[in-house]
Amino acid sequence: MSETWTLGLKLFIITAVAGFILGFTNYLTEQPIMKQRIQADMEARLAVLPSAKEFEEIEIDEVADENSKIIEIYRAVDADNNIVGYTFKVLTSGFGGDVEVIVGINSDGIIEGIRIGEHSETPGLGAKASEEGFTEQFAGKAIDMPIEVNKTGDLADNEIQAITGATITSECVSNAVNLAINYYSESLIGGIDN
Amino acid sequence: MNQLIVSSSPHINSDETIAKIMRDVVIALIPAGIAAIYFFGSRALLIIVVSVISAVLTEWFMQKLYKKPITLDDWSAVVTGILIAYNMPPTVPLWLPIVGSVIAIAIIKQSFGGLGQNFMNPALGARAILLACWPVRMTTWVAPGPDAISTATPLELLNGNMQEGFPTIWDAFIGNIGGCIGETSAFALILGAIYLLYRDVINWRIPVSYLGTVALFTWIFGKDGFFTGNGIYNLFIGGLMLGAFYMATDYATSPVTPKGQLIMGFGCGIITSIIRLYGGYPDGVTYAILIMNIVTPLIDRYTIPSIYGEVERNV
Amino acid sequence: MKLREIFTNGIFKENPIFKLVIGMCPTIAVTTAAINGIGMGLATTFVLICSNLVISLLKDFIPSKIRIPSYIVIIATFVTIVGMVMEAYLPDLYDSLGIFIPLIVVNCIILARAETFASKNPPIPSIVDGLGIGLGFTLSLTILGSIRELLGAGTLFNMQVMPNSYEPALIMILPAGAFITLGLLTGLINKFTTKMD
Repeated sequence: MSETWTLGLKLFIITAVAGFILGFTNYLTEQPIMKQRIQADMEARLAVLPSAKEFEEIEIDEVADENSKIIEIYRAVDADNNIVGYTFKVLTSGFGGDVEVIVGINSDGIIEGIRIGEHSETPGLGAKASEEGFTEQFAGKAIDMPIEVNKTGDLADNEIQAITGATITSECVSNAVNLAINYYSESLIGGIDN
Repeated sequence: MNQLIVSSSPHINSDETIAKIMRDVVIALIPAGIAAIYFFGSRALLIIVVSVISAVLTEWFMQKLYKKPITLDDWSAVVTGILIAYNMPPTVPLWLPIVGSVIAIAIIKQSFGGLGQNFMNPALGARAILLACWPVRMTTWVAPGPDAISTATPLELLNGNMQEGFPTIWDAFIGNIGGCIGETSAFALILGAIYLLYRDVINWRIPVSYLGTVALFTWIFGKDGFFTGNGIYNLFIGGLMLGAFYMATDYATSPVTPKGQLIMGFGCGIITSIIRLYGGYPDGVTYAILIMNIVTPLIDRYTIPSIYGEVERNV
Repeated sequence: MKLREIFTNGIFKENPIFKLVIGMCPTIAVTTAAINGIGMGLATTFVLICSNLVISLLKDFIPSKIRIPSYIVIIATFVTIVGMVMEAYLPDLYDSLGIFIPLIVVNCIILARAETFASKNPPIPSIVDGLGIGLGFTLSLTILGSIRELLGAGTLFNMQVMPNSYEPALIMILPAGAFITLGLLTGLINKFTTKMD
């Protein structure tokens, strides 16, 4: 056997063994990983719409404006299978990249909560968007008016206080929430999804 | 092979000369200080004093620590202290200039070998670090006057698409605008600069090419299309005057060759304009000068004048 | 070399970060908090021990001409296993380290130890070398992470340490802060250790 063949064979053995081990590990961990992911998504949705019991994903056409894009909508039902609201996962462009915003709107037309998912905003500035102090401002807001960002302090009903030093992030989050609000008012209330 | 090496500036032989130059810089900075106290009140003076004292103390401590001769009498720490204070808003808490002075002297100056060895301007390096550390503190501006009403600087107004509320060009020129302590009064800074030019401490190349480039670029690439920008207005706002005359000209961190100095000014001007027109930060003077500081050795290397009689070989 | 010497060698004399200055990419990227330093360090230590052991066992089997691809396959296998197991059973840690785990593959510390130590030594010393270098890496990352977390967020292992009036210096948890801390710390450590030699 020539040297090339020996080398090739040995490399083949090493990669084959490695492939086998990886396949086996994948077989062992596949289920727990899926469970983790599903649970994490479930928890995120529950956090923004606590009155829900179960969620069901609904099919949507692409919804986007200049900065934001709705990527997932779930219909939330309570124990008796009544629709209690919807959760939206919206991707919006922040200061450092895409920001994932999860918005929960109940069937009374009130925002129950929002949560920031993955993001790459500046630590200490834009990253504060994921802290409760910022996100809880959205809870309880009615959806009849778009959310506005205010920098000075005297807040109107539809306004939220911007994060100091991170106006762009504050605006991108409220933009994402507004996109969800618009979609909810136009297509979900008494609309196609009944 | 060209084996010539341009040694690092300053090419100065005795301490007495450094002291003289630095003292001239301090004198030249006084008008801007007076303007700052006039517009922002005694708070500005307090910040300047705290900054200078902490810079001098840090210099003394670091030279003791590194067992180097104590050179407080060369006035260079005083200049750094003043410049740090001039680059801060008058609203900062007093610990900020202290931290700034320690960063500038201990890390940027002494840890790289002391005067003449630092690879970037200590005051500007410290400002960049402070800006990254406490961005809100470093960008809380107030309007001149006793009431300390918070305001936007003209640069922020330019970026924010706002059409009203612009200070007049005269206000911007004499310094009746929001901004850092020492940067607002273009008039006082120019007064000091004339003194420095007269005393031969600096020459015209870096400031003139820097200011000219900024005026030209901000005029050409205006908001409403080509040739609509207000180049002259851009000269008087932000840290441009302070940067062009007092910091871009720093001996240790700017090129020694005449051609190199023109390149330095031009480069600073381009970067400043790009950051002002398209960047996320309102003012780009700090970063422009720091970036050009870093390429200074390269500029020097490629602009060494050829020696008389030298012939190019291996063409 | 005695086993004890091999072990301490990795922590002090050939500390991967402060002495060899390798593996800088994960060092700069993950050390924004002390806990991240420990997590990344231990994950790397695990991969390092496993790959050192396997490479040491296979050193007569692997021809020198294809040793680099072989090492990479072995290292990548262990890294992928760590990633999968962590995501399945330690989801919180995976959340903060997730994107850095694949980086262990290209962490030159592991390839460097495979090349300079494991491929020339028997299995037991190779394991000890992996453990020593790995713990040296973990220790250094934790020190860096602690300093950056303390100054940049006012906390240590997520607990508030600094008084509330302390305003965190944001640069410390940005990449620039990592470079500044690493530089000053390396200078300081080398000043004291060279004095001792």
